[in-house]
Amino acid sequence: MIPAYNESAAIRELVLSLRKQHPDYVPLVINDGSRDQTASEALLAGAKVVSHPFNLGIGGAVQTGYKIARQENYDAVIQIDGDAQHDPAYLAAVLEPILSNRLDLCIGSRFLTSSSSFKSTFTRRIGIRFFSRLLSSLTGVHLTDPTSGFRATGRKLIACFAEYYPIDFPEPEAIKIAKRLSARIGEVPVSMRARQGGVSSIRYLSTLYYMIKVTFAILIDTLKEKR
Amino acid sequence: MQSRTFAIMVSVLIMLIVINLIRRQKMTFKYSMLWLATSLAALLFSIFDQALNQISSMMGFALPSNFVFFCLLSFFIIQSLFLTIYVNQQNSRIEALAQAVGILEYQQQKPSDSRSVKPKSD
Repeated sequence: MIPAYNESAAIRELVLSLRKQHPDYVPLVINDGSRDQTASEALLAGAKVVSHPFNLGIGGAVQTGYKIARQENYDAVIQIDGDAQHDPAYLAAVLEPILSNRLDLCIGSRFLTSSSSFKSTFTRRIGIRFFSRLLSSLTGVHLTDPTSGFRATGRKLIACFAEYYPIDFPEPEAIKIAKRLSARIGEVPVSMRARQGGVSSIRYLSTLYYMIKVTFAILIDTLKEKR
Repeated sequence: MQSRTFAIMVSVLIMLIVINLIRRQKMTFKYSMLWLATSLAALLFSIFDQALNQISSMMGFALPSNFVFFCLLSFFIIQSLFLTIYVNQQNSRIEALAQAVGILEYQQQKPSDSRSVKPKSD
């Protein structure tokens, strides 16, 4: 599934390469109230498309994807960013631990291998390191890239995330939620490309809000009941 | 005496406005409860001002007016807290509705799509 907001520049190319490399997967684009041609571009490329009547935020889009996956009884869902930052070549690698039932949540990490050509800004690297420290001290799970939106989930978490998923800046918090639901979480190395179009959901000015919101949400989640 | 009649008038006026809003279905009982209860309390306190003086000195306020201000402030804080809860409730309901609309549209387009792709079998 591909959450997308105003990604008409990259979405067609992404869906086409997805279908070419993995003809047996079903690409589902969740068009989160885009004002551009994202939905029609995705349809033209041969993806299934769900459109929100207005913009909810990436978490809302991802949750819609989980709701559909639950309804249509899928065993696994792979989430990949709509801006083609994630290389579809790694889909199988991210999905494999789920299908072989070793993990419930598998995250594609940019930092597991040194060969990755992805360059992140200094502030973002600090943020990522902060969240990985926070999560590992709270949950004991060591992740190198907790903000990555390249991830696969198994049946158990699909049902849980369809019920509840954080609406904005969801990635690190979703890991904490998954851990609370006693899911098995792990990482596999992927490489990422620079953005091909669109704007990241983490913009310059809202970085501070992002840091505070996600930290707070993770801390609040520790107060929730374990299952 | 003057301030007392003024207080009675104001609390009666607020009560009448709220009741009229309910009558014209601009407000439901659920959301007007706090207003009604507060204006009733204000009315009772302005009629029986001895009770107001006693309660405020019992609670350790130096002046009854301080007690009145404290009550008003508490009322506004509680009211805005409730409003924030309502806004959030509305927000999550709207989100769920938006997702449901998207999923419904998606389900409607899907059967016709697969029919057009499938070759005739029967």
